[in-house]
Amino acid sequence: MNLLAVAAEPGAVSGSLSSYLIVSAILFLLGLATILTRRNVLYVLMGTELILNAANLNFVAFTRFGGYELDGQMMALVVVMLAAAEAAVALAIVLRIFHDFGSIDMTRTDSLRD
Amino acid sequence: MEGLLFYVFGGLAILATLLTISAKNPVYSAIFMVISFGATAGIFVLLDAYLIATVEVLVYAGAIMVLFLFVIMLINLRSGEQEGLRWSPLVIVAAGTFLVLLGRAVGDLGGAVTSKPNDLVGSPGLLAESLFTRYVVPFEAVSMLLLAAILGTVVLSRRKEQA
Repeated sequence: MNLLAVAAEPGAVSGSLSSYLIVSAILFLLGLATILTRRNVLYVLMGTELILNAANLNFVAFTRFGGYELDGQMMALVVVMLAAAEAAVALAIVLRIFHDFGSIDMTRTDSLRD
Repeated sequence: MEGLLFYVFGGLAILATLLTISAKNPVYSAIFMVISFGATAGIFVLLDAYLIATVEVLVYAGAIMVLFLFVIMLINLRSGEQEGLRWSPLVIVAAGTFLVLLGRAVGDLGGAVTSKPNDLVGSPGLLAESLFTRYVVPFEAVSMLLLAAILGTVVLSRRKEQA
């Protein structure tokens, strides 16, 4: 379960589950940090996409190493569709925010109605 | 060879994501994000998830990022609103979450890992077969979700005077 053992490990399956989970955790962290520290709504959305992508990586890795047939890949497929739907709706909301407030700074969009 | 490819794709994904979140211009961020998703698709190929890798490139790197670029162009940010990454106490929350995840990733995963890895290949045929038999209800639910997303997007993006 060592990251450095990935290259040396023989067998049909490349690498270990841990190495994929570590990459996924790093991608998740970067997405979370974006959501927490940026005020630009577009970057918050990008952070959401990064987090969903990291979750997808986990699903596919567990499919490979967990022995659950292809259930994980099916979940990953659903997550991709979810991300597409979410991005479309959220970007429409971003456009509305820009038209109504003249800015996409999250700290300035503090009223729900006129 | 595959171990080397894992390092290449994994490193590229992390590097491109770092550049994505640290770039000041959203256009550059979107371009770096395409690279990040492409590298992730490479990792999916290493995991024998060929259909997921294709969908990743088509939907994430294609459709979603084109949508992002269009909105960035429509909004046309003034230079004053383009700020870099802001460091705040919330970063500690992110770092704590990361440490927990990392601990789980390198630690004992218990019953999640079987001794014998799955040798099924995520080909379109195999996935389609279970998509239309075992997972037909989630499949229909997702189609309803996409319909709702289409309608919601149309309603939301209408101008006020037309509403």
